[in-house]
Amino acid sequence: MMLFSTLRFWALGWIEDHFINTKCTFKYYGFEWVQILPPHFMYAIHTVMILASVGVLFGFFYRISAILLFLTFTYCQLIDLTYYLNHYYFVAIACLFMIFVPANRAFSLDIRWLKIKPVSHVSVWVINIFKLQIAIVYIFAGLAKINYEWLINALPLKIWLPAADALPFIGWLMKYKITPYVFSWAGMFYDTFIIFFLLNSKTRPFAYFTVIVFHAMTGLLFQIGVFPLVMIGATLLFFSDNFHEKLLNVLGWQEMSVHTNSPLNNNLLKYSLIAFFTFQLLFPWRYLLYTGNMFWTEQGYRFGWRVMLMEKAGTATFYVKDSKTGREGEVSNAEFLNNHQEKQMAMQPDMILQYAHFLKNHFAAKGVFKPSVRAEIFVTLNGKPSKLLIDPNLDLTQIKDSWTDKKWIINR
Amino acid sequence: MKKRLLFTLIILSTFACNKPADEVKQEGFDRKLMLTNYYDNLILPAFTTLETSTISMETAIKTLASTPTEGNLLAAQKAWEDTYLVWLKANAYNFGPTGEDGIKKGIAEEIGIFPVSESKIEANISSNKLTFNDFNRDNRGFLAVEYLIFDKAALNKLQVQNRRNYLLAVTENLKGFVTEAKKGWGAYKTDFVNKNGTDAGSSTSQLYNEFVKSYEAMKNFKLGLPLGLRAGQTQAEPTKVEGFYSGKSLKFIEAHFTTIENIYYGRGSADGLGFKEYLETVEGGKNLIASTEAQIAVIKNTLKAIPQATPMAEQIVKSPQGLVNLQTEMQKQTRFFKSDMSSVLGIAITFSSGDGD
Repeated sequence: MMLFSTLRFWALGWIEDHFINTKCTFKYYGFEWVQILPPHFMYAIHTVMILASVGVLFGFFYRISAILLFLTFTYCQLIDLTYYLNHYYFVAIACLFMIFVPANRAFSLDIRWLKIKPVSHVSVWVINIFKLQIAIVYIFAGLAKINYEWLINALPLKIWLPAADALPFIGWLMKYKITPYVFSWAGMFYDTFIIFFLLNSKTRPFAYFTVIVFHAMTGLLFQIGVFPLVMIGATLLFFSDNFHEKLLNVLGWQEMSVHTNSPLNNNLLKYSLIAFFTFQLLFPWRYLLYTGNMFWTEQGYRFGWRVMLMEKAGTATFYVKDSKTGREGEVSNAEFLNNHQEKQMAMQPDMILQYAHFLKNHFAAKGVFKPSVRAEIFVTLNGKPSKLLIDPNLDLTQIKDSWTDKKWIINR
Repeated sequence: MKKRLLFTLIILSTFACNKPADEVKQEGFDRKLMLTNYYDNLILPAFTTLETSTISMETAIKTLASTPTEGNLLAAQKAWEDTYLVWLKANAYNFGPTGEDGIKKGIAEEIGIFPVSESKIEANISSNKLTFNDFNRDNRGFLAVEYLIFDKAALNKLQVQNRRNYLLAVTENLKGFVTEAKKGWGAYKTDFVNKNGTDAGSSTSQLYNEFVKSYEAMKNFKLGLPLGLRAGQTQAEPTKVEGFYSGKSLKFIEAHFTTIENIYYGRGSADGLGFKEYLETVEGGKNLIASTEAQIAVIKNTLKAIPQATPMAEQIVKSPQGLVNLQTEMQKQTRFFKSDMSSVLGIAITFSSGDGD
């Protein structure tokens, strides 16, 4: 179970201040109440996050640390939808799991200093929930790649890869027409099947080698932050307890621990886990309930382990109209949003709607009488000529976000 | 899996070995050559001529300050206008040696801010404050010089020593920025050409992002704002045009747009490799070229239709329709330059990590 050490390491790199000097933040549906705090609070929260991750890593006040880590990390994700990334979602889930697993029962300061009773065994369910979650991530990511654009047209890789031709080691590959196709198919096979090769003890070393190669490649090619490290670390879990014990021996830690097959006796936890994984298995399919092309409308796109699937960008111009004078003016997005926020907002309908409501409130406070807000939004998907995303004459202030189909998205 | 990977690599190399190169290879594009063209034919010449021109302007202004006569005033005005037109060829390059650096802003913000604050300038003149180490940017730069020498009563007002001091100090200050810019770019070729990726921080990404910013700034602040087309404005604000005192606003917009066009084409003294040629080689690029260039033609026609004889500020009050049309047509171009182009070229537009994962 000390294999979690790798998992814990990630927690150490998450200090960023996306959260200072922000005028407008985008909320997750249902989490509109999550507010950004003044700068010094944000720094304090990040400090707590660091301390908590250190606590988790060294097994010091483990459970409290794990809870704090989960809460602070998730809070920072919920502040602004702009920064949604699938791997942050994965990390949040892993942090949640960590609260419930006894990762402080060996090689921890809790044992050395707080005299917590050490155990040499870890229940197999503990490892399995992580494995199951990783399997979900990969398989859904793989299934999502089985679509016409990805496999037959090699899009968006056909756009992305040539831009990477200046890279060391692999840049030369990008000059070949076949490369995007090879990468598209390899990526699909990798994501869909890697988990099975990891589960099989014979293929595991090869599979893990592939994991490293695959994630190192994607890490080189794309700006995806720590994601490759997260996955390379997380998939270590698939190795047997023997392997980890040997590793620990090499590191000079003599104490041994062995997996045993003790069942999960806590019913509450058991049913919570069942409910959780049912949700995990079903939630990514919700896009089937909506009409239109999911890549265009992005209904049911998030929280579905759809990674690096499309090249999409938009230019969004908002117009605010005073309903008394009829005077209409164009909004300068840069006044309210940073580059990243503007980029993300310009192609995602729910963010467009939130921004329109933000503008309404902002300009109403500035003395514009009952402002109406409309937007001309042109979006390009996978290099195709840009098209209008929504009706440019629609007053967005009259629309509220919901789970229902966003009929106001056009050209779907 | 390893086998599969090896297998694909083998297939790949077989393809690579057996077929003639042009069949298996992408058309390809050498960004280093493109960057070299931008450097040799656009950026460096822009700053070199800007420096020469600024020095002549300084000479004319010194002459005016020592002998404020009608003839010297006209000569200084002429020198200013010439220099300002050259400046409009350089004002998009707010990165690298002319980018933000600590408390120093990009060069366009340091010496190209408009409208200037008459009250701040007048306050500095009265107190004979000749240093520029505060955070104001609207009491200096090219447009402050314009204010001082294109004022209707400029000659009379320049009889006051303080005013002449300020004129000289502002000129000296902006010349300092220009000299530094030329020097910086002069030594920047290797860096510029070698950062040939498409990631944030690469030359292509920086040039592209500043190009788009410059285009949007032109549309929003040289047209939209004085026309009263910005959200929250309750009326047109004709005094906010660029070049209000000289009345050359339209000419300046035209020059600025020509620069944007030249950057798109990679056109300096000759038409070399630029974004256009780059687009020709990528997925979806040819479509985009067609839309972009069709709209460039529309914008140029719309520009032509605007009467040149009447100053822009006056047109805004009396007959703004032509200018409004221009703003509308420029707005239509925005998406081609902004999201469509960055998307098909795969250029990073932010420093934050990843839009996917």
